[in-house]
Amino acid sequence: MFRNNYDNDSVTFSPQGRIFQVEYAQEAVKQGSVVVGIVSKTHAVLAALKRNAEELSSYQKKIIPIDTHYGIALAGLASDARVLSNFMKQQSLASRLTYDRPIPLAQITARIGDRAQTNTQQYGKRPYGVGLLIAGVDAKGPHLFEFQPSGVTQEMIACGIGARSQMARTYLERNLDEFEGSTREELIKHALRALKDSLSQDKELTMENTSLGVSGVEEDFRMYEGQEIANWLETTFERAEEEGGESMEVDT
Amino acid sequence: MDHFPQAWGRPRDDIYGSYNPSYLPHNKGGYQAHPNGQPNTHTQSPIVTGTSVIAIKFKSGVVIAADNLASYGSLARFTDVKRLKPFNKKAVVGFGGDVSDMQYLDRLLSSLDVQENYRSGSSGHGDEEAENRAMMSAKNLHTYLSKVMYKRRTDFNPLWNALLVAGLDEKSTPFLAFADLLGTTYSSPTLATGFGAHLAQPIMRRAVPDEEASQNLEREKAVEVVKQCMKVLFYRDARSMNVYSMAVIDENGVDLKEDIKLEAESWAFAEGIKGYGTQTV
Amino acid sequence: MTSIGTGYDLSNSVFSPDGRNFQVEYAVKAVENGGTAIGIRCKDGVVLALEKLVTSKLLKKDANKRIATVDRNIGVVYSGLQPDGRHFVSRARDEAASWRSTYKAPIPVSSLANRMGAYVQAYTLYSSVRPFGITGIVGGWDAEKEVDVDGAVGSGPKTGSGGKVQGAKEGGPYLYMIEPSGSYWGYYGAATGKGRQAAKSELEKMKLDPKAGDCVSLEEGVKEAARIIYLAHEDNKDKDFELEMTWVSAMSGPTQGRHEEVPKELREEAERLAKKALEGEDEEEEEEEEEKMEE
Repeated sequence: MFRNNYDNDSVTFSPQGRIFQVEYAQEAVKQGSVVVGIVSKTHAVLAALKRNAEELSSYQKKIIPIDTHYGIALAGLASDARVLSNFMKQQSLASRLTYDRPIPLAQITARIGDRAQTNTQQYGKRPYGVGLLIAGVDAKGPHLFEFQPSGVTQEMIACGIGARSQMARTYLERNLDEFEGSTREELIKHALRALKDSLSQDKELTMENTSLGVSGVEEDFRMYEGQEIANWLETTFERAEEEGGESMEVDT
Repeated sequence: MDHFPQAWGRPRDDIYGSYNPSYLPHNKGGYQAHPNGQPNTHTQSPIVTGTSVIAIKFKSGVVIAADNLASYGSLARFTDVKRLKPFNKKAVVGFGGDVSDMQYLDRLLSSLDVQENYRSGSSGHGDEEAENRAMMSAKNLHTYLSKVMYKRRTDFNPLWNALLVAGLDEKSTPFLAFADLLGTTYSSPTLATGFGAHLAQPIMRRAVPDEEASQNLEREKAVEVVKQCMKVLFYRDARSMNVYSMAVIDENGVDLKEDIKLEAESWAFAEGIKGYGTQTV
Repeated sequence: MTSIGTGYDLSNSVFSPDGRNFQVEYAVKAVENGGTAIGIRCKDGVVLALEKLVTSKLLKKDANKRIATVDRNIGVVYSGLQPDGRHFVSRARDEAASWRSTYKAPIPVSSLANRMGAYVQAYTLYSSVRPFGITGIVGGWDAEKEVDVDGAVGSGPKTGSGGKVQGAKEGGPYLYMIEPSGSYWGYYGAATGKGRQAAKSELEKMKLDPKAGDCVSLEEGVKEAARIIYLAHEDNKDKDFELEMTWVSAMSGPTQGRHEEVPKELREEAERLAKKALEGEDEEEEEEEEEKMEE
C-alpha cells in the first residue's frame, strides 16, 4: 500500500533524513493551478490562473486580500489556505489594534511558517497541503514571500508555484534583472507573461480565468478580476504576439 | 474607632448589616482568594510614587522632563530615581505614579525591545534607512501602552501610573501623548501629569497655545520653558525635588540628560507671598 | 546500518536490540546534508558563520537571514531543516524571556544551552513526535561585570545588604553545540553540516584555548571563520552560497555586548582574504604538482 515504510506519518525520518509526508504535501502544491508573484522597488504583484471544476461551475478563488497592505495567492488545497488566511487576517488586525501599525510581512510570514512546522513534528497532524505567495508593502517597502508546506519561508524577487510553474520560473529567471526598476504596468505585464508561459498549448489567459493582485507604496492591495483586467490582457499579449511574429520572420 | 482596617471605608455593620459574601465565587464552589471571606482586591493606592512629568512638542521634536524623586507618602524616600525611560531612537516614556508599576512597565518595554530587535535582525544590515522607517515609533508605543493600561484597569488591577510618551511618529513628525491607569488617552502640543497639569501646563500653554505655535517653536525655547516649569514645580509641589532628568527627541535620536540640577534656585520670592498662615497684612 | 528494515527504526523513542534510537540517527542525516555552520570562541568574543546555499536565482539577495539572535547577547546558527531551526530559535527566545521574568537578568549562555538540550532531548522520548532535524550552535557573551536587575531605578545601597561587590568579575564568551539527541558540549570551535569535517580540521589548527596564551582575537576569528566556510564549500562547488556571519563581544568590544551581524565592510574584507587564501592554496598545489612533474 505504501511506497516504503517511512512515509506513513510526518513524525518518521527516513534513513536518509527525509520526511516523506512533508514531501508528499509539497506534491499537493504542484497539483494546484499556477500563481506568480513579482516585486519591484515600488510595487508587489500577484497573478493567478483560476480553474473551474466544470463548465457551469464558478472558478476557484486564488488570490485572497488579507489586510489593506497585502494579500496572498495560493496553490494547492484551498481549504488549507482558508485556515491560514483566517489566521493571517486575525494576526493582522491584532497588530493594528495593539500597535496601530500594519503587520510587517516578514513577521506574518514567520508566524504561518512556525505554525506549519508544528504540523510536521507532531503525530496526528498533517502538513498543510498548500503553498502561498505573500505580497504587499510594509514600512520596509514592497515584499514577496514564498511559503511551503514544510514550513520553509523565503523572501523572493519573483516566484511561481503550482502546476507547470517551472515554465513561469524560467521566464522570471530570464527577466530577473528588469523587475527592480519596472513600473507598475510593466510589472503586471511581466507577471501575466510568466503566467502565460506555464499554460499548456491549448489554453489561454482570459478575463474569466485570470486574477491579479496589486499593491504598491502608497497604494493599497487590491484584487483585479473580470472586466477590470481585460485591458491588461489585451495590451500584454498583443505585443507578445507581435514579437513572436517578428522572431518567426527572422527564422524564415 | 473601628480597629479593623478591612472594615475601613465600608458601610457600618450596626446600620447596614454585615457584608453579604454570598455572590463571591467561593460560596458557589469557586476559588477563595481571601481567607476572611472578603472580596478579592488588587492595588487600592500607589505606594512609592513619582510626581509630575511634563513635555512640549517643538518644531522638530519633543522635550520631556521629570524629577528624580520617589516619595513614600510625604517622605522623600529615594532621590536618584530616573523616571524617563528611552525605548529606542524614536521614543521616550515618562512615568508618574507608582514606582514599582513603573519598574514593571520598564521590564515590559525592554522585552518588547528585545522582540523588536528579533524582527529587524532578520532583514539584515543593508538598508539603514528602511530599518529606521520600520522601527517602532512613539505612536506605536503609545498605542501599545494605552492598551496595556486599559486591559489592567478592565481587570480591576490597574498599573498606578500616568505616562507621557514623547518622540516621533512613523512619518518622523513630533509626537506626544498621555495614558493613565484608567486607560484614558489624549494628546496635545504640551502635556503634564500630576501636579504639573495644574502648575506647569498654564506656563507651557502660554508659550505654546496651539499646534501651530509648537510647529514654530525652536528647540532652545522649548528647553527653556521646560526648565522654567521644573523650577516652578519644585517651588510649589511639596513632593518634588531640585534634580531632574530631561530628554530631547528629534531626528538625531534621543538626547537624555539625567541628574540636571535646578539653576538659580532662590526662595527669596517666598517673602512676597501673601494670604497664608499668620500674616496680618 | 544493518538494522534498516528490521522495524526498530520506524518509530521514535524505540530502542533497537543493540541499544540505538534510529530515528535520532536519521535526524542526524538531515543535518549532515545542510550547509556548513561554525562557531568560534575567541579571546574577546564569539563568531558564528554559515554557508547559506542559494537554492534559486529568484531568492532575494542578502535577505533570508538564518543566524538568529536570542535575547540581546546570544546568537544561534544551525544546519539542517530550516523550519526545525526556527522552532529551536523560537523556543530559545521563550526560554530567555522566561528566565528574565524569573531572575530579572539575561540568561547565561550555559543555562540556555542546558535548557535547549533538555527541550531537544524531550523530542526523542515520545513516539508522538520526531527529533529535531538540526544541530544548533549557540554562542554568546555573558556580562563580565555585575549588571543591574531589569527595571532597576536609582543606584541602590552602596554597601551592606544589597550592596555591590566591588570589582567582581565573571562571564565572558561561551559556545555550545546541541545535537538532535539533545546532548550538548561546550566548544572552543564547533562545526556542523555538510562540510564539518574540513571545518573541524581547520578549527583544530587554531589557537583557541585562552589558558594557553596567544588565543585568537575576535577580528582574527572573523577572518578565519570566513576562510573556513569558503574552504568547507570547496566540496560543494557546483552550488552557489552566501556567507552569513555574526559576532558578539564584551561591552567594551565592537558590539558592546550585543549579538549582531558582522559589519558589511569587515565581512567583505574577510571574504576577499578567504578567496585569496584559497587561490593561494590551489596555486601551491599546482606548483607542487608541477614540481613533481618536473621531477
